[in-house]
Amino acid sequence: MKLFTLILALVSCSWTANAALLSVDERADAMNAQLQGNNSYHAHLARQLADVASAEKAQHDTAVAKQFIDMAEEEAAKAGGAQ
Amino acid sequence: MMKRISITAALLSMTACSTAPLNIDRAELADARAAIADAKAAGAEKCAPKLQAEAVASLYWAAHELSETDYHPEENQQLTEDALNKAKAAKKQAKINCAPKPAPKPAPVKQEIIELKGVQFEYNSATLTRTSTAILDAAVETLVKRPDIRVEVAAHTDSTGSADYNQQLSERRAASVMAYLQEHGIDASRLTSKGYGESQPIADNSTEEGRAKNRRVELRVLK
Repeated sequence: MKLFTLILALVSCSWTANAALLSVDERADAMNAQLQGNNSYHAHLARQLADVASAEKAQHDTAVAKQFIDMAEEEAAKAGGAQ
Repeated sequence: MMKRISITAALLSMTACSTAPLNIDRAELADARAAIADAKAAGAEKCAPKLQAEAVASLYWAAHELSETDYHPEENQQLTEDALNKAKAAKKQAKINCAPKPAPKPAPVKQEIIELKGVQFEYNSATLTRTSTAILDAAVETLVKRPDIRVEVAAHTDSTGSADYNQQLSERRAASVMAYLQEHGIDASRLTSKGYGESQPIADNSTEEGRAKNRRVELRVLK
């Protein structure tokens, strides 16, 4: 049981990272689709932050990528979707 | 012992996977921050939204990079400069895009023209035909009823003959009509005359019908 807990703790970081790595692109795609045709400040900022998230993901900094895609989605929500 | 190791490993992994909140209030970002605020005050979010968004995203990214332990001074400086330059560009663009548009020029006032349809002259002459006088008498009545207006008697010819000849003919015809109006009581101070020759056709000079329309006299109201 203790050994299982240790192994789980050690792999949790990389497992979470992989999950985030998969979801950043999907979330960015969904967000971009939602913002299609929207050229407001918040929409542009959402896209820019999603680009940063993708760049960080490419450098395998998945936690930061997630942080930026979270911010991007917040801005997308302020932008009000497609126009 | 095993339990302690497990807890330590779990804590370490949680620490490694978490991210610090972005601190854009760092001293290194002061100039970029000020430039972004300046651009926002100039209306950049509305009038230069893409540039302003690029500036803000660069600021956030720079804030993140500056917080990293594996420090890359050149990369950080580049991101900070990007934020600063984009904000400056956004402010400049906002000033252009948000500049109040000049008031549209007032539409030109359409000049009132009193047509003297049917006024005719003898061929190649400034002598009015008999039928023309009735029309001119009606014009006199109009001018009497409207004592507040001044008019220019404008005469036109068709394009038959030389332009010089037509110009002179139109001037003589305009003067002839003006003289008639004066003789019938219209004060000379309210009248001027001008010949336009063949310069202002209103119909096709290649047909007889068009040429007849172009040979005309009108009163242009000057107010």
